[in-house]
Amino acid sequence: MKTVLDLNQLNDNILKIKALLIELEASASSFPALSRNSKRALASVKMMELNLCDLVTLGLADHPLSSNP
Amino acid sequence: MLDQEYWNPVLETLPREKLKILQFKKFKQILTWAYTRSKFHKALYDKAGLTPDDIRSFDDIKKIPKVEKSMMREIQNKDPFPYGDALCVPLEEVSVFRQTSGTTGQPVYQPDTWQDWEWWSECWSFILWAQGYRPSDRVFLPFGYNIFVAFWAGHYAAEKLGCEVVPGGVLDTQSRILKIRELKATAMMATPTYVLNMADVAKNKMGIDPATLSINKITCAGEPGAGIPSTKRRMEEAWGAKVFDHSGATEIGAWSYECRKQPCGMHVNEAMFLVEIEDLETGEIIEEPGRKGKMVITALDRVAQPCIRFDSKDIIEWDSESCSCGRSFRLIRGGVLGRADDITKVKGVLISPAAIEEVVRSIDGLGDEFEVVVDKQGDVDRIKLKVELLPEITQLSVENRLKDQLRLKTNLGYQIEYYDYGSLPRYEAKAKRFKDLRKKDTAQKEVRP
Repeated sequence: MKTVLDLNQLNDNILKIKALLIELEASASSFPALSRNSKRALASVKMMELNLCDLVTLGLADHPLSSNP
Repeated sequence: MLDQEYWNPVLETLPREKLKILQFKKFKQILTWAYTRSKFHKALYDKAGLTPDDIRSFDDIKKIPKVEKSMMREIQNKDPFPYGDALCVPLEEVSVFRQTSGTTGQPVYQPDTWQDWEWWSECWSFILWAQGYRPSDRVFLPFGYNIFVAFWAGHYAAEKLGCEVVPGGVLDTQSRILKIRELKATAMMATPTYVLNMADVAKNKMGIDPATLSINKITCAGEPGAGIPSTKRRMEEAWGAKVFDHSGATEIGAWSYECRKQPCGMHVNEAMFLVEIEDLETGEIIEEPGRKGKMVITALDRVAQPCIRFDSKDIIEWDSESCSCGRSFRLIRGGVLGRADDITKVKGVLISPAAIEEVVRSIDGLGDEFEVVVDKQGDVDRIKLKVELLPEITQLSVENRLKDQLRLKTNLGYQIEYYDYGSLPRYEAKAKRFKDLRKKDTAQKEVRP
């Protein structure tokens, strides 16, 4: 069974994670274990942005499995 | 998920008109990033009288000056040390140093941020997924883990995919083969030269037929071999495995890959890179398939030391066919066909080392190694081709076929020298089999076996 992808919802979730990590990195500047891991996680989030968010932002995202034409 | 063909089902099947919009937006972004953060790029574009705002359409991209490797060499060792002023981030943001191998001159230093390094392994994830790597794979990496980028990103990408990675760094060739056998590794990444060398060592020094080992797929990089049909066939037969081509470079990234359909070419990852093909003589951008030219490439998302319209010197051509895998990423026919530096005229005819390799490795009685030496006899160009005869094979049994095929495929005559098997130099990574002694480069000496 093929899964229908809700690309807008996926995009929203990625951006939420990004916002949380940015906040965590900033607020934990005196806590290297948290701030440096947040920064590293942000690099991974950037890869998700390249994979999806850039397309959604530009209105280019559609896919046969997508619920968002 | 595991039977999913694509690493990214949206990007890899994006209609081409949308792909072009994405590439243009990203090109503008990286151009603006470099212009506002790097003295090197700003000076380059100011000199051409251009700012990012002048790039208003896809056709404007070709106005942007190219970056030559020699330009990158000139800025090395200057401030900020050791990278020079193409650096677009503060030094403390740089998390990885790499350098080019220096095959064509002084090495170029390449800084990457952690985000860049994530990007490297992301590009490799497209490659490995397309070639059928899955979490059930045990991947053996027989390369020197050092300052050269080589298969480092392949290592991290395989981890990201969920594969089990076995780093075969400091082991010698025999130990590596034993480790592959012991662990029942299913996949491997190496240069074509080393893939053949390992098979040779296994067979002739250890009495192990590599085809009986458990390797079922091999990803090659660093040399054109996996795109040369006869070399690919030799590797596939020796290992009983599928061999896939991939191309990348330290200053660029991992920009192309062969998929499981093995379409006699590689897909350009056009979501991450913009590839242009430039006519070797006129500099005109080639859009149509079937015309060879020089690749000019932009890495659309690399930030520390951007790669914008880099003159790679790789010779490629667009394929007229699309791939049955369904990817909308364009194919380059036959992969990287050679380097502009290596394609030279002999007796007025263009000669490509890859064409000679294709012929030599299509002759069954010849060994994998060969060497081409171009020099002058008086005022006339001469090409010497050194080949090895496999044990119990006579010169008589191969020479007519070799001469005929060389004449047919390269339009040139050769002085052929035959050597015993094992006489010519062996290489562990990138091989240097083509020597043009007509050039003033004193580093190019003919080696006598």
